Amino acid sequence: MEGRRSIVIAVFSTSAGSGKTVTAINLAAGLAKEGYQTCLVDLDLQFGDVMGYLDMVGDVTLADAQAALMRDEASFRIEDYLAEYSCGGVSFSVLPPPKEINDAYLVDVDAVAEIISRMGGFNFIVLDMTAVFSTLNLAMLDMSTVINFMGRSDFLPSVKNYKVGYDTLLRFEYEERKICLVENRAEENDLINYRDVERLLGAKFYHRLPVDSQAVTRSIRMGRPLMFSAPLSPLTQSYWQLVGRYTNRSIAPRQVQEQEVPAEEEKHSGFSWFFKRGKNHAEGQVKG
Amino acid sequence: MKYRAILVERDSVMLPHLAGALKADADFDLAATYHDAEQALGQSSVFRPNLFLIDVDSPKGLKLLPDFIDFFPNADFLGMMEHWKADTAEKVIQAGALGSIVKPFRTRDILKAMEIYGRRGQKKPTRTMAFFSPKGHSGRTTLASVMALELARKSGESVALIDADLQFGDVSMFFDVVPQHNVVEASHDIRLLNPATLEAYFHPVGQGVWVMGGPVRPEHAELVEADRLIEVVRMAGSLFRYVLVDLPAGFNPISLALAEFADTDILVSMINSGQEVRHMKRSMKMFQMWDAYGKKIYPLFSGVKRCTPEQKKKIEEEFGRSVTKILPEESHITAITGSGRLLKDLPEDMPYVRAVDDMVGEIIAGRR
Repeated sequence: MEGRRSIVIAVFSTSAGSGKTVTAINLAAGLAKEGYQTCLVDLDLQFGDVMGYLDMVGDVTLADAQAALMRDEASFRIEDYLAEYSCGGVSFSVLPPPKEINDAYLVDVDAVAEIISRMGGFNFIVLDMTAVFSTLNLAMLDMSTVINFMGRSDFLPSVKNYKVGYDTLLRFEYEERKICLVENRAEENDLINYRDVERLLGAKFYHRLPVDSQAVTRSIRMGRPLMFSAPLSPLTQSYWQLVGRYTNRSIAPRQVQEQEVPAEEEKHSGFSWFFKRGKNHAEGQVKG
Repeated sequence: MKYRAILVERDSVMLPHLAGALKADADFDLAATYHDAEQALGQSSVFRPNLFLIDVDSPKGLKLLPDFIDFFPNADFLGMMEHWKADTAEKVIQAGALGSIVKPFRTRDILKAMEIYGRRGQKKPTRTMAFFSPKGHSGRTTLASVMALELARKSGESVALIDADLQFGDVSMFFDVVPQHNVVEASHDIRLLNPATLEAYFHPVGQGVWVMGGPVRPEHAELVEADRLIEVVRMAGSLFRYVLVDLPAGFNPISLALAEFADTDILVSMINSGQEVRHMKRSMKMFQMWDAYGKKIYPLFSGVKRCTPEQKKKIEEEFGRSVTKILPEESHITAITGSGRLLKDLPEDMPYVRAVDDMVGEIIAGRR
């Protein structure tokens, strides 16, 4: 199948509020910046936030794509249903979710699978998913090259759901090496130590993303990925490393892209983070 | 002798059978038996009964139940039915009876029924409240849990919290309990159960609150059919004066069916990225259809920084309609729920709890 040429990254979690959308956006932006043709698909069909977080308005959505595909499979071109996000010379495609909740309800899993497989022109397809084992999500996990499985260690019920979710993925026979455990809101002095979480899961984190709520808030407010809205943030740097891991390239930490940072922004908040970081911050290492 | 009982049963085979059981128990003094409800209503006063067992499968028995209760305000009433029928059971409670039992029964079943129905609270219809949120991480379970505790505390009646967030529900964890049974089992077994046997599927967490936890494995969620779960919720109404249901996020067959069934839907979203008001607006469209049929729909926003009337107004302007309550952001409450200390460490003077308490007061007073 044509679509199999693309690398599909499923950004998944089993507890809400673990940073799937922010991660999906910043992965897509980072991959695009690295020169890869990238498409970001918002699979939170009812309440997707990708368009909102990127301050985009689109005319066509997945619902239109599905209708067109069902009408005439032969002449269907996915390009006609994608929105384009561009900022600072970086651009990637976005497939927006249906506008109406009723349309979201009518989305057909096979149609979505077919649409994704028609995206062979892209090097990377990033899927922003919901925190549930639905038929759609399972089909997407099946299609994905890697599962960027996110969790957070700062709230015990979330840790429980991370463990339950991970065990379920393994029970569903997803290969261990396909599942990349990504901790979000990683803090060294958290009540719950990430090593304990690793022990609980029986696996190591693939990557750990630090907390920077201010940077995320700013990014959403500006409608721009972190590299443009908070280039100095350790979170932004951490996303670069994650992009580096998925592309098998070592990406040097980026310098500030001054022209993208509004003058009035408080830069000290970004720097204070660097000072707080521990020496053995695992998420800071790029392997390979 | 504890109970001077009147038995009203139209079936001539069943009547002596039930009467025999009552006669054999020293706790009961069977004052009279009747085939006809009307006759019983007219004659029973001479026996000074304090317990009525009335066949409510018969339309006459059900119809006259409110008159019985009027005539004998100091007596207890139990409806009797051959098979559990949720509709009938609800009508029996609505009339002011304790509840219903399934025939045939032993006298200890009557005692058990009186014990659990007595604990339920006022002999008034059950309030069934569903907690909906468009997305997860909304403070929905926190609100449902705190509301359950406050409802029980303020009303002195019993409250159930059912975790219908079937894949990744956190209710048990918030209360730090490991229930023996869960909602999947209850839904599976419901057609074989009556209120007394359903009670065992709830875990008492204390302070007048019982919880029914979610399944251990997320894939078990698939085993739950919405109509079965509704039967669980309805039967729970015989045991608890308030039945709270924590729904999964978003619209799916379970959340839609239960939100439609409940008399009150509480919608909650946590103000975070700024997209939440839009999500709630879109959700309201689905709920407005039911609004017209007298269902109570209450939109709330949690995680509000600077919880002031001005802030509420601002949110309402964007939302395009009135907001029932705004709940303040409170890291302390996250610490409490996250470590399962809801029962032990919930301070009444916390702004969050006070805000929930306000609403609870209005619910108890019947204003909401």
